Amino acid sequence: MNSDPALRLEGLTVNYGRRPALRGVDLRVERGEMMALAGPNGSGKTTLIRAVLGLLPVDAGMIEILGAPLASLPVRERARRIAWVPQEEAARDNVRLADYVEYGRYAHRDAWSGELDGDRRAVERALASSGLTERAGDGILTLSGGERQRATLARALAQAAPILLLDEPTSHLDIGHQLDFLGRVRDLARAGEVTVIAAMHDLNLAARFTDRVVVLSRGRRVADGPPGEILSEELLLRVWGVVAERRIEPKTGVPYLIPQRLVAAPAPGAALAGWGPVHVVGGAGAATPILRLLADEGARLTVGTLNLLDSDAQTAEQLGIPSAIEAPFAPLGPEARQRNAILLGAARAIVVAAFPVGPSNLPNLDDVAPYVGRVPVFLAAEPPIAARDWTGGRAAEAWESLRAAGATVFRTPVELMAGLRKSAGAPGVEDRPQGADVH
Amino acid sequence: MPEEPGAASPAEAPRRRRIGRGWRLAIGVAILGALAVLVSPLIGPVPIPPVVVLRILFGVADPCAGYLSHAYSCVAAPTIVLEVRVPEILLGLIAGAALGISGAGLQGVFRNPLADPFLLGISSGATLGASIVLVFQVGIQEADLFLPLFAFLGAAGTGLVVVLLARNRYGSVETLLLGGVAIAAFLSAADWLVLLYNPELGLQVDLWLLGGLGSASWSVDAIALSLVMVFGTLLALYGPELNLIQLGNDVAQSAGVATTRVRVTVILLASVVTATSVAFTGIIGFVGLVAPHVIRRTVGTDYRVVLAGSAITGAAFLLAARDVSILAFPTSELPIGIFTAFAGVPFFLYLLYRQSRVVTMGSGA
Repeated sequence: MNSDPALRLEGLTVNYGRRPALRGVDLRVERGEMMALAGPNGSGKTTLIRAVLGLLPVDAGMIEILGAPLASLPVRERARRIAWVPQEEAARDNVRLADYVEYGRYAHRDAWSGELDGDRRAVERALASSGLTERAGDGILTLSGGERQRATLARALAQAAPILLLDEPTSHLDIGHQLDFLGRVRDLARAGEVTVIAAMHDLNLAARFTDRVVVLSRGRRVADGPPGEILSEELLLRVWGVVAERRIEPKTGVPYLIPQRLVAAPAPGAALAGWGPVHVVGGAGAATPILRLLADEGARLTVGTLNLLDSDAQTAEQLGIPSAIEAPFAPLGPEARQRNAILLGAARAIVVAAFPVGPSNLPNLDDVAPYVGRVPVFLAAEPPIAARDWTGGRAAEAWESLRAAGATVFRTPVELMAGLRKSAGAPGVEDRPQGADVH
Repeated sequence: MPEEPGAASPAEAPRRRRIGRGWRLAIGVAILGALAVLVSPLIGPVPIPPVVVLRILFGVADPCAGYLSHAYSCVAAPTIVLEVRVPEILLGLIAGAALGISGAGLQGVFRNPLADPFLLGISSGATLGASIVLVFQVGIQEADLFLPLFAFLGAAGTGLVVVLLARNRYGSVETLLLGGVAIAAFLSAADWLVLLYNPELGLQVDLWLLGGLGSASWSVDAIALSLVMVFGTLLALYGPELNLIQLGNDVAQSAGVATTRVRVTVILLASVVTATSVAFTGIIGFVGLVAPHVIRRTVGTDYRVVLAGSAITGAAFLLAARDVSILAFPTSELPIGIFTAFAGVPFFLYLLYRQSRVVTMGSGA
């Protein structure tokens, strides 16, 4: 059984009534890993944890714990394999802490055996690992918030299960207690005592304390890997609808993300409510009417690459649209283009406005080329490219090749809207940006 | 798990269990209980000098020689003490313990401090059973036997119906509680319907319901004791499960408690134990509500202690109620159910007031 992974999910599907919460999630967690489960509210983190605990009926797929199918394990045996630290435990009675932790030993005894030696040792160790030895004799209602959460950890540790599931364990704690709590859990994982799976909202804490981040979005696993590799600006935009800046902590090499703003909030009832992001390529004011129209229709927008002081850039600023910006009147440099590429990569549709093309902004057309065929690309044909080509034909050539590759040409805003609406399908609740509560 | 070198010898947890106000109260309750057991045989509606009672109990030959002037009383005294008072006291202890422990079990399983043995319609079920005997004259010749039997069946049957509701694995405890209360209302309506068409039975049923120890006899005690001993002991073993259930059903399940099975078993056991009490003593209110609270507020909230402690407290409370009611109204034999309610209701209101300040932190998922 030692070669079996701690946890294996295969096609795990859970529905709440007709609403899918998890849609075919595959996951394999090796022993000794410390893994963070991230994702916006409603992405399925808690559902996944509850399903693994056997607290929810599973609609399809399989859960395997240390090599045994969950469904085949009696409740008591499950408890010997997985312990759980809930987000916040409702304790009403002022139970003595040592007794409370000892409750966690339940799965290791039967109705007839009293407190055994092994139980007492396990309780003492759990209290020590949680830094609560001193408070063993106090009632749990007299503990502070940070101590309460560690008490819950101690109860779970007393269960002596090789897998520890944590559900937003630090969301009620201050910064100091967050670091303390996660540090203790990581130490246990490093010591090889437990495999940790922790649902976490705070990506920076996840990056700092875990070896692996699995991102869920709308019930699917959309990213999985070491935090340094997967926590990117693009991921935040795509999954949370949040524009963020990614930096690297110089001392540790750990990435950290500085959230900046939410991409335009959905206007309920609008044709494209919440759908997107739609990336608009413009310049010299050509994108402005398109940005205003799509913003009115509720689409989430990004725009690039524009020169600062350009009237399109000012529109983007006014509407709070994230953009890739170059210095005024300068040719588009690598940094701005890289940012544009991030926005392009996150887009679900791309609109190329009818902007005048000169040598300095010619890359704007070239940069779109890789995305034709991958996402819907809409190409403005009015005024015609020939009338605004200041590159001696190179722009017309680039434009023509976009069209030849399959970009959709539009002449009027009505045509553009019709095309986008079709791409969006029937935009409904499901397509709202899920990060809307980040602010 | 590999041994962690740093935690090899953790400091012994300091034990801060000083004898506090709570323990003093608990000891007080225990002393009062013991006192009630000792004093109870001396108290009864028929005045017999305490010395005579003691002589009878200790089997002294010719117990009333020199103490009772009338030879008539002297003949009756041993019978009164041995065949009435002692069985009554025993039945009081058994019924009190039954109500106390099933109240504790139900409060635990529902995580609700206001639950009591009659919450789920067990009393209405018993009433219906008793009414059937009286109305349809089922075995009315052996009413002493059939009345308790049908009351027991009605009460335990109600518990069974509630348990069937409790089997839904993902159903919440609130749903179950509401279902139980709805069943209680339904049965209560059925009771009223029966009485409406048989008004002449009203007083008979009411008196039976009000409860008392009058039906006590050695054989009744033997039946009641064996039922309460068996099912009460089984119930008392559910302390560890109930402790975890207090932390939330999900937490309990994650710690290895088969919550649905525990819920079903505890309700079933509590129903049988309560039904036994109801069958022989009618409905004695508030003992099952009050006893667990006394224990929780004095000794502690560990259900391993609360279950057994509530049985003891319930027994002592019921016996004390019997004594006080006889002392206060020596001639009228006030039904004991009235007396426990008079003592229990003010306490209940006090708890309600306290609870409104304490419970607002929410009950969790």
